[in-house]
Amino acid sequence: MRNRASLILALAIAALSGWAIFSALAWPWKAKLFPLVISIPLLCLALAEVLWVLLGSAPGAAAADFKLSEEHPPEVARRRTAIAVAWIGGFFVVILLLGFLIAVPLLVFAYLKLQGKESWGFSIAFTLALWAGFYGLFDQLLHLPFPAGWLFEWLGLAG
Amino acid sequence: MLEALWEGLLLILQWKPFAFMLVGVLVGFWVGLLPGIGGATTLALMLPFIYTMQPVEAFAFLLGMHSVVATTGDITSILFGVPGEATTAAIILDGHAMAKRGEAGRALGAALTASLIGALIGAAALALAIPIVRPLVLTFGSPEMFMLAIVGLAFIASLSAQGARGMVRGFLAGGLGMMLAMVGQDPQAGVARFTLGTLYLWQGLDLVPVLVGLFAIPEIIDLAVRGTSIAGGVPAGRISRGALEGVKDVFRNFFLTIRCALIGTFIGITPGLGGAVAQWMAYGHATQSARTPEERKGFGAGDVRGVIGPGAACNSKEGGALIPTIAFGVPGSTSMAILLGGFFLLGLVPGPEMLTKHLALTFSLVWTIVLANVITVVVCALLLNRLAGLTNVAGHRLIPVILVLVFIGSFTSNSQYADILVTLVFGGVGYLMVVAGWPRAPLVLGLVLGKIAENYLYISVARYDAAWLARPVVVALLVVAAAVVCYPVFQAWRGRRRSQHA
Repeated sequence: MRNRASLILALAIAALSGWAIFSALAWPWKAKLFPLVISIPLLCLALAEVLWVLLGSAPGAAAADFKLSEEHPPEVARRRTAIAVAWIGGFFVVILLLGFLIAVPLLVFAYLKLQGKESWGFSIAFTLALWAGFYGLFDQLLHLPFPAGWLFEWLGLAG
Repeated sequence: MLEALWEGLLLILQWKPFAFMLVGVLVGFWVGLLPGIGGATTLALMLPFIYTMQPVEAFAFLLGMHSVVATTGDITSILFGVPGEATTAAIILDGHAMAKRGEAGRALGAALTASLIGALIGAAALALAIPIVRPLVLTFGSPEMFMLAIVGLAFIASLSAQGARGMVRGFLAGGLGMMLAMVGQDPQAGVARFTLGTLYLWQGLDLVPVLVGLFAIPEIIDLAVRGTSIAGGVPAGRISRGALEGVKDVFRNFFLTIRCALIGTFIGITPGLGGAVAQWMAYGHATQSARTPEERKGFGAGDVRGVIGPGAACNSKEGGALIPTIAFGVPGSTSMAILLGGFFLLGLVPGPEMLTKHLALTFSLVWTIVLANVITVVVCALLLNRLAGLTNVAGHRLIPVILVLVFIGSFTSNSQYADILVTLVFGGVGYLMVVAGWPRAPLVLGLVLGKIAENYLYISVARYDAAWLARPVVVALLVVAAAVVCYPVFQAWRGRRRSQHA
């Protein structure tokens, strides 16, 4: 798993740096100096990592960084990861369609009720409290410009 | 001089400046806690309010707010694994790992104590350094500044991973960060680079959406996979006792705290490097304090030294950053640039006048940093039980709250949906890096340093051709970079030899 993820990253960086070198060659020297200084060694290092993986060497020690928990069997972890990614992606889509002001309470309530299996009372109270805090701080106090969702624009209902 | 120092304290203790400082501290407290709402952005938002204030009131308000943001940002980073501030991302690596182990109180205790010591050292540096710092800063030209950026990258790339392969991955991540920093219109020729034909990318990638995605998304996914609280069902225990243990940890590693605070101060003094760099440099230095490869493995898994280092550096940099801002009008960071705007709004000109005519006002800035940090740390210590208890809230109750903060934090950087898309893309990149065991720190440092490094490299080459490589300080920094890269390899080789002999 670690080697496969490493291979994907190294190939992506190799492709990116290759594209960067190719693009930079057409620019004036002022614009291409730094991209070439960085991209050429980066391409070499990425190819070295690809070779390391393809030659079947051990993945090596993990970095001094956050590590994913390994307390669940891989298939459970994969399923839960897919569900989490779907929620994150779904939230983004709902924000695009309905705008922040509607998407925030909708997501919070849906997550608590469907994913967290919380009671109706708690879900409603928690959602209202969070929405009040969000609306009061970001909309009323900080006046952040939250646009209406695309759905409202398509229907001609956006103020 | 001592008279001006005393006068500065009296200035800040007047009821109006003191009240404005408390308002600033209150705003900074919450800004730090909320991920994505940057201290610099808030500083800019607050500038219009200072028009009617006296200089001492205005700086008490602005600096009081700014100097506590990093302290409370540490709390969000430790408890939720979401950077409360761009400058508090490094503390996540070990601080959040400790929170998940049920040691949130200890991590918070260590972070707050280190922050306070860091702030005091930064303030002391500001008070002491003004007469002596001028010649030092003025010897650094563009070639030296470029090399300093490279030393920073070498530092973090070589120290956040183990062995030759780990180092390659560290440099890959750092190089990727530098490449990402090139996105947008280049400052010299005006060429639109790597913009994929979109207008959004012309201004380059904003740091906040990238950071929020890179750090928060993998954590949210992991929290969902575990299906428990951040502390994973581990009882938080008696937080106050844990916190005391954290305080003791700082004194057990007192010289590390001092060294990291000094690193922060120096990075703060050096214009253009900024706070995001200081925390990673200090983290790199903290990992260097590990004597064996086994000890090194503990970093990222909840070593308290990984909390102390960035905690101290983050707060000490403020005092340091004020030195070039006040003395030369050269801001050391984005926030200082905004603060510099505050000077002009109030009719003050940074430079010799601030060290002669307005010396008491300058010292009032030192006292603001000291008082604001003492007040914040005391308030945080009083609220510790409640704050640390948050890690035992069920995961499914936290996930929607953190998700809302992530999406809003990302959106507020440019108020465009594309910001959220950037967060999601970098969430994917961050997740892959975590799965692959690659360090994320060098990527962030590369992204932060990229633009500055490019600018310095361009000026160096345009002005000196290849001769800039022969400048003595450049050569010395090159040697330091090489030593930083070679040291872990040498350390691993020595460790292997020792274990063979044993």
